[in-house]
Amino acid sequence: MLSVDRRWLYLILFVNIVIFLLAPLRMPASISPPVQKFYDEIEKLQPGDLVMISSNWSASTLAENQPQLEAVITHLMRKQVRFTIISIEAQSRDISYRLAERVTKEKGYQYGEQWAHFGFVPNLAVAIKGMVTDLPNTIKQDVRGTAVAELPVVQGVKSLSEYKMIIDVTPTGSVPVWISYSPKNVKILYCPTSVMAAEAYTYLDSGQIKGMITGAKGAQEYEQLLGITGLGAPFANTISFSHLLIIAFILLGNFAMLMNRLQARREA
Amino acid sequence: MGVLTNLMAQQTIWRLPEESRVLFATLIVAGAFVLILGLIPVLQTLPPRGRRAIIVTVTFLAGLFFAAEFFLPVDWTAIFPKDDPKRNFLTPAIQPAQNVLQIIGALALGLGTFGLVRLHLRNTVQRRAQWGYSIVLLVSFVVMATFSILNTLAEKKIVERGPMLERGFSILFDYTLIQLDAAMFSLVAFYIFSAAYRAFRIRSVEASILMFTAMLVMIGVVPLGAQISPALPTIANWVLAQLNAPAQRAIEFGVGIGGLAMAIRLWLSLERGVT
Amino acid sequence: MDWLQAFLPLNLERLSVWIGVLCTLAIYSLLYRENPIYRFFEHMYIGLAAGYSLGPLGVDILYRYWIEPIWIQGYWAWAFVVPYGMYLYFIFSERYGWISRIVIGTLIGASAGLFFQEFSSRYLPQLNSTLQKPLWVSDANPDLTYGMIINNILFVIILLSVLTYFTFSYEQRGPVKRVAIWGRWFLMIGLGAIFGNTVMARMALMIGRIYYLLNDWLLIRVGGG
Repeated sequence: MLSVDRRWLYLILFVNIVIFLLAPLRMPASISPPVQKFYDEIEKLQPGDLVMISSNWSASTLAENQPQLEAVITHLMRKQVRFTIISIEAQSRDISYRLAERVTKEKGYQYGEQWAHFGFVPNLAVAIKGMVTDLPNTIKQDVRGTAVAELPVVQGVKSLSEYKMIIDVTPTGSVPVWISYSPKNVKILYCPTSVMAAEAYTYLDSGQIKGMITGAKGAQEYEQLLGITGLGAPFANTISFSHLLIIAFILLGNFAMLMNRLQARREA
Repeated sequence: MGVLTNLMAQQTIWRLPEESRVLFATLIVAGAFVLILGLIPVLQTLPPRGRRAIIVTVTFLAGLFFAAEFFLPVDWTAIFPKDDPKRNFLTPAIQPAQNVLQIIGALALGLGTFGLVRLHLRNTVQRRAQWGYSIVLLVSFVVMATFSILNTLAEKKIVERGPMLERGFSILFDYTLIQLDAAMFSLVAFYIFSAAYRAFRIRSVEASILMFTAMLVMIGVVPLGAQISPALPTIANWVLAQLNAPAQRAIEFGVGIGGLAMAIRLWLSLERGVT
Repeated sequence: MDWLQAFLPLNLERLSVWIGVLCTLAIYSLLYRENPIYRFFEHMYIGLAAGYSLGPLGVDILYRYWIEPIWIQGYWAWAFVVPYGMYLYFIFSERYGWISRIVIGTLIGASAGLFFQEFSSRYLPQLNSTLQKPLWVSDANPDLTYGMIINNILFVIILLSVLTYFTFSYEQRGPVKRVAIWGRWFLMIGLGAIFGNTVMARMALMIGRIYYLLNDWLLIRVGGG
């Protein structure tokens, strides 16, 4: 049993996922406290408030971060909040810009007036310090080449401290950098991939981040709170059954090991 | 210092006049390249101790600026009455320092690309093993670099965005690079599944705790957990917030203290092998 | 018939989707065994990724922070930054490689200098939060429940025992060793949580790919909450 060709295992997993992606079975999510807190914090925003979205994910974590970013932008537009996007990863610059263009166009949000993309900065820590001191001269221009000082969405904004909130959508450990260097009056919300989520509970406990959406399953919970249909729901439902399969195979593997040991003991 | 930075901001000697600005700028940049790169033979004459002294000094000054800016008290209005009480005299220099570090950071990121291209060019020229794949890499690199640079210039309206650029970049980025990137990282799922069956063995107390917690989290946080029992998500969230969080915090404290010690050692160039 | 017409690559849009699917299946061919098709697409991927980065790095950064300030705004002092940064590229030279350490020293020094602020903003609030956890009912915290008290006591016990486990300055003996063993067990809870979440993350990435194959390529509608 333990010497089964691993390609059969790959096929079993593949078939499991195909079946449960296609199955009409849909399970509602149980809303976890960090997602509820995330939702409540955005609900507290007033029309015209300014939010910074830090979008640092690339195609490698598309399935987890894309539903998060889409849902976050949808919620911000619903609250009529202004937002700007910044990236510390080169690929994310184009991915987040194209995604935001698509989502905002559907809801009639105008680029430059209600949202803007500040492009890519390789060094986040000094960029944050620069934005706290002098935001227009730190960022200089948006992705379309317009000077930041001329963008209506950030008209008159001199510092990052004039923002109400920072939302970090990321597969990397960038939220400690935002926590370390951003002004203390600006709240931070976190949208990590599931890998980074466990480490962030300490920041939730200390209040350094006010809410968190964890991966695809967090996106499903958030979509449920917003009452929208997105990618989070089918992904999270399929994840459930893939987890069941993995747990079953872990137990099966251990059972096989136990049987081998008992067999060896009997023969001895 | 505030007076000096104000002078700097108000142009005077730091800004070229508008007439012939491009010509003077080009000459100054060329001169800067010649000067800085011309310094190399001079620096090369330094003995090892002299070289180390330069590196240590530069490292120290770079760290001193940010450390001093953080530690120095705010509110210098007693010395510079017109200054902003919420900053010290080094704070205005953060923004230009930021600009310098972003440029150097971008050049540092380009280092990896440079090294990669250099390696595969060498493979191709010297006809090393599997040099055909190196040609594939180099051709992809050149094509994508061209479209990427043109696309970014077109976004800033420096060049015209024609249909060929639009479609070409879309095919290369949206339908090739993104798909390859996503597919490459999704392979790990198969390996995790295979490893879970073949290698995850519950042989000790620690392994049992790890596995049990992992299974609880895996089932408790997903929608299926709530269907099995309404208590499962509550228990899983409690484990994450009350049992996992203090363990992560203890790791954070360890990392933080170690990081501080390492930061001081790096700043003062006490770490061997770096300078 | 309608499905077939929509499925086949009869226009540029569909052809683009087929290119994406070809890329995905080529990478997945590695799961069967190592093969030249996988190698081809792997090298293509690396070339595309490296080539793509020149746009954001070259244009977004260098144009914004170097080209425009000098040539368009006239601030000539910036001219010295890129030549200085080019010292990094001497790392490939055996003779002049030490020169790159000057620029590396700049980056390391800056990061080290910034760490003091990070230490005070990232770690001290966590220490503060831990020390402020009430461990018994008192008039100062009238809204505290016994459940919260138990959680707080458990939090502090776990934190202290894991910290004890990480203390390697002296040999752990007696009660300290027992606390350290408990710390290791509690640490396993944290690592188990990380492992569970890692599995979830990887599964999500694969589900995303299979969703693309089913929804975008085979046009089998998946989705809905």
